[in-house]
Amino acid sequence: MHGISKNRIPTLFGLLAGVAFLSTLPAHAAHAATPPANVENGRYLARAADCEVCHTEEGGTPYAGGRAFNLPGIGVMYAPNITPDKTAGIGAWTDQQFVDAVRKGISPGWKHLYPAMPYPAYARMSDAQVRDIRAYLATLPPSSKKTPENSVKFPFSIRSFMVFWNILNGPASSYPDDPGKSAEWNRGRYLVEGPGHCGDCHTPRTLSFGLDSSKTLGGSPVNGWRAYNLTSDKLSGLGAWSDQDLAQYLSTGHADGHGTASGDMADVVGHSLRYLNAQDIHAMVVYLRSIPPLRTEADMVERKTPPAGDSSLPQTTRGARLYASACAGCHTADGTGRQSSFGTITGARSLGADNGRNLVQVLVQGSGMQTATGVQIMPHFTGGGLSDRDLADIASFVMTHFTTATPHNMEQAVRDAKQAP
Amino acid sequence: MLSLNINGQPHQVDVDPDTPLLWVLRDVLGMNATKFGCGIAQCGACTVHMDGQAVRACNLPVGLIGERRISTLEGLDNTDPVANAVQAAWVALDVVQCGYCQPGQIMAAIALLRSTPKPTDEQIDSAMSANLCRCGTYMRIRAAIHHAAGALA
Repeated sequence: MHGISKNRIPTLFGLLAGVAFLSTLPAHAAHAATPPANVENGRYLARAADCEVCHTEEGGTPYAGGRAFNLPGIGVMYAPNITPDKTAGIGAWTDQQFVDAVRKGISPGWKHLYPAMPYPAYARMSDAQVRDIRAYLATLPPSSKKTPENSVKFPFSIRSFMVFWNILNGPASSYPDDPGKSAEWNRGRYLVEGPGHCGDCHTPRTLSFGLDSSKTLGGSPVNGWRAYNLTSDKLSGLGAWSDQDLAQYLSTGHADGHGTASGDMADVVGHSLRYLNAQDIHAMVVYLRSIPPLRTEADMVERKTPPAGDSSLPQTTRGARLYASACAGCHTADGTGRQSSFGTITGARSLGADNGRNLVQVLVQGSGMQTATGVQIMPHFTGGGLSDRDLADIASFVMTHFTTATPHNMEQAVRDAKQAP
Repeated sequence: MLSLNINGQPHQVDVDPDTPLLWVLRDVLGMNATKFGCGIAQCGACTVHMDGQAVRACNLPVGLIGERRISTLEGLDNTDPVANAVQAAWVALDVVQCGYCQPGQIMAAIALLRSTPKPTDEQIDSAMSANLCRCGTYMRIRAAIHHAAGALA
């Protein structure tokens, strides 16, 4: 994380030296005496690392790959099949090859992975922990589904260029606990920076697509959504959340007054965080509390609370009338969930931040989250007779009725959200 | 097995907790007064009460209900003044046309009058506008709610 050395352009000599060094690595571990892998620990870590969400196509077999990652300007990549199938999956890999892929981004045959696979974060896990994940994956039913070929543009298509990227932004390593901090803090740091790879969405990226260490967890737009500022800033980060609300949000995807996890975060809660035990959730809260505050203007929105149980809405604007007919069926007039607390939308960020970015996203894309009581779904509202202007008016009404945000250019925001890949 | 309190009676049902209440009512318990309309909580035809509040049965997983009391149209109590006033007003003003949405309309109207005994036009529009009627009986529904409110005063 030292800015100067990271930004130095690597020389050809440095590159060759790096390759020479790396090529001496593989042999040693195979003969070392390794304790038997722990499948249960592997399952827990695979969930903490949220492997399933990326390595599963929508509606597809878990871990059989195929989910497309559309990176503007770079191309389309597909997460590979990581079931134990010997040809389509990773059944033929040695444990060491698996560890190298997860921790160093190098798969068999010196094929460099693209950092859509968060190996720089996964490097925080130890070899033994990654072997446990392998042992768990080996218990899954093999799928013979072939992973589609990536279509990545030149020069990004040259995988060995990732050597440069790795020198600039590359894998960290597992590190010892900080003896000056509590065990909880250390466990939280490991979960957030390692398997949880929270920064991969919540930290802005540099021009070379590495994580910007000067803005760690400071919030970033991802796939059209806003991954919020997780620093301890009171006005734009998590500083004003109670520990209890934060723990509840992480473990269930909802906390009253803060809205419900949507989009990619709904997947993170549904497939990963909700399986973590209470101590680990608490450890993440402890660590997140210690992230130095970073102010982000886009997130500086305050909540307005209409009187609870208010059964009337101002019927004076198009947006209010549309809300009454299209939204109040589930979210009621005062923003309280009619069916369950997952429908309680009141919360500043979820409705107002970044010119209502996530509000517009959820109207246009919809969202679904796995919970302990089944899937919670917000349907999308496109193609059902509501025009771009209707959606823009609904968004404007919600933003001004429930938050202090000042909506602007909302019809364009709706069109942009519709055109997102 | 899940235990549900429906119309004051305990019911044991052997279903997945993510089964929507509407399926349990109609397909498991044979209580057909509550209608299937859209299935995505957009039309209000399946409106029932959960602890007195109007909810959409098509989008309510039974696993979320717990101890809370469910009431459906067939469970309306003829000693309940609000239910009686709404039913009488619906007959007096001949609200119903095809009738498919009406179980939901009546449940929504009763919930409104329990929380807001003297609703204004605006409060009626807010509370009822998520209950669709493709025959367009909205004006008669609004008039009947005022009529029932007057009878209860």
